[in-house]
Amino acid sequence: MEQTIISLKNFIPECVLIVTILVCLLADLIVRKKSAVVAVIGIAGLFVSGWFVIGQFGVKESVFFGMVVIDPYSVFFKLLFIVSTVFIILFSLASKEIKDSTHTNEHVYLMISLTLGANLMASSVNMLMMYLALETVSITSYVLAGYMKKSKRSSEAAMKYVIYGAASSGIMIYAMSLLYGYTGSMNIFEISSILSKMGGTNPMLVIVMVMILAGFGYKISSVPFHFWTPDVYEGAPIPVTGFLAVTSSAAGFAVLIRFFSVTFLKSTTMLNGSLQIIDGIRWTEIIIVLSVASMIIGNFVAVWQMSFKRLLAYSSIAQGGYIMLGLVVANQQGLTAIFVYLVAYMIMNLGAFYALIMISNKLNSDDINDMKGFAYRAPAVAVGMGIFMFALSGIPATVGFVGKFYLFSALIESNMIWLALVGMMNSVVSLFFYIKVLKYMFLSKPDEENSGKIYYGIAGYVLLFILVIPTLLLGIYFGPIVRFAEMSAVMFGLK
Amino acid sequence: MLESYIPIMLVLSFALIFAVVMINLSSLLGPSKPDKEKLSTYESGMEPIGTARERFSVKYYMVAVSFILFDLEVVFLYPWAISFINFPKAEMVYSLIVALIFIFILFVGLIYEYKKGVLKWD
Repeated sequence: MEQTIISLKNFIPECVLIVTILVCLLADLIVRKKSAVVAVIGIAGLFVSGWFVIGQFGVKESVFFGMVVIDPYSVFFKLLFIVSTVFIILFSLASKEIKDSTHTNEHVYLMISLTLGANLMASSVNMLMMYLALETVSITSYVLAGYMKKSKRSSEAAMKYVIYGAASSGIMIYAMSLLYGYTGSMNIFEISSILSKMGGTNPMLVIVMVMILAGFGYKISSVPFHFWTPDVYEGAPIPVTGFLAVTSSAAGFAVLIRFFSVTFLKSTTMLNGSLQIIDGIRWTEIIIVLSVASMIIGNFVAVWQMSFKRLLAYSSIAQGGYIMLGLVVANQQGLTAIFVYLVAYMIMNLGAFYALIMISNKLNSDDINDMKGFAYRAPAVAVGMGIFMFALSGIPATVGFVGKFYLFSALIESNMIWLALVGMMNSVVSLFFYIKVLKYMFLSKPDEENSGKIYYGIAGYVLLFILVIPTLLLGIYFGPIVRFAEMSAVMFGLK
Repeated sequence: MLESYIPIMLVLSFALIFAVVMINLSSLLGPSKPDKEKLSTYESGMEPIGTARERFSVKYYMVAVSFILFDLEVVFLYPWAISFINFPKAEMVYSLIVALIFIFILFVGLIYEYKKGVLKWD
């Protein structure tokens, strides 16, 4: 009992989220129509939870009998999830798709449930807990993907997502059972020390690794497991798409990075020391293959897309590939680079999705052809979209450049120059399709029949501005995020 | 290590052989004189009505889902109730509160169902 009470003290942020979910659910029943009240309650709950998360900074503790740990690594991810969820709930208030759906306010507490699952994913160190947290995230995102009940595309997206998700998590839990059978433990620290003793020469371990990657790789939409991404992104309402691209895939990275860098590194190794992988388990090579494949396929297929949502889907596949580059280095510097990149990725992706919501609210379409001459009709939104596109492709003076710079320099310092070169060449390719959007917006004249000016409410411009500011400011003054990332790159159990 | 699986292999192969032999034996040895009555669907002696691929109203699934919810509640509460008497005095209140929180969370689900009109039959 005492352990549980001590654990609960370190579990306040999650408890706050659970209470928020229940309160939102009851508030939705009382309000009974679409209203901002539920969203405001949800955002308030998220802020309270975020405040408690900040209080956990610097704590390094294992709670609930070694199921979950509180460390700077998990605190970083929790803050990332909470901030992005606040933005996504604001987006959903602005989105016409959500407004037109038959549901009242369900999306608010579904999104908070997903945040809860993501928080647990970032902090779990037990394979069972990892699987449970991953399923919490998955099941809520299936519901969210099919949020527009009347839309055929949305239902199709949800169906595809469920089928892919069920298959890949089934494969993953089978691999986990094999690993448990081999080592006799579910705790990843214990597995690591047992594997260090036994050595990793058993060929079954390679199979286990690949199968576990199927589960995590599906969440981060890495290449051989990416087939659901374009269809689901296209069918789901845009705020949900943004949510999947930012929170859900960041949660996938949180659990992937922790699992691989704890389980398959020698338990005596310091993370900032030289890389010491358990003999025979060369997981970094698998990650290199997945990462290069994600970058190449994501970027090259995106070139042909004419649907903006599909384009962003392939772009997020490619961005996932870049983030995995940091994992290949598997030291402190790589982890810092991943964190810097994740912050940048969150800001610019949220921005791009918000600008897309603004555009498609008025155009009722996400086809790039329909955006011809949009800059003449709503200049502020087009400029905002331009900034986010430049940031996503990694042009200097935007936050995207900082992320890519840290990733590639981490690679070069550990003598993986060819990999950094592959990444850079992919950035050049990505520039083409990001700029293609801007070409349609700025360089073509709008069609005769719809060339009228488009106006938005003041709140819409303010939210866009709030997202544009950090994209530019953190691109020039990036000290704070780098320091924050350096402080956060500390995992429980690794020095 | 693999030797220990031999009994399981034996059971599996016995089950397979037994099933295949029995099915084939009954079709080989049994007399077969089919007529229209015999080939029609067996519905406890009644005249079969309509098709077997009938669609059920979604209401039944809703009831089934709520049944599972409260069934699981009992599954979790049963061991708690059994061991409640053995708790030391100091932990009794604590464990009661924990169980009440658990019941409350499920109760919110019931309120949600009720308000959304899932329990309304028509």
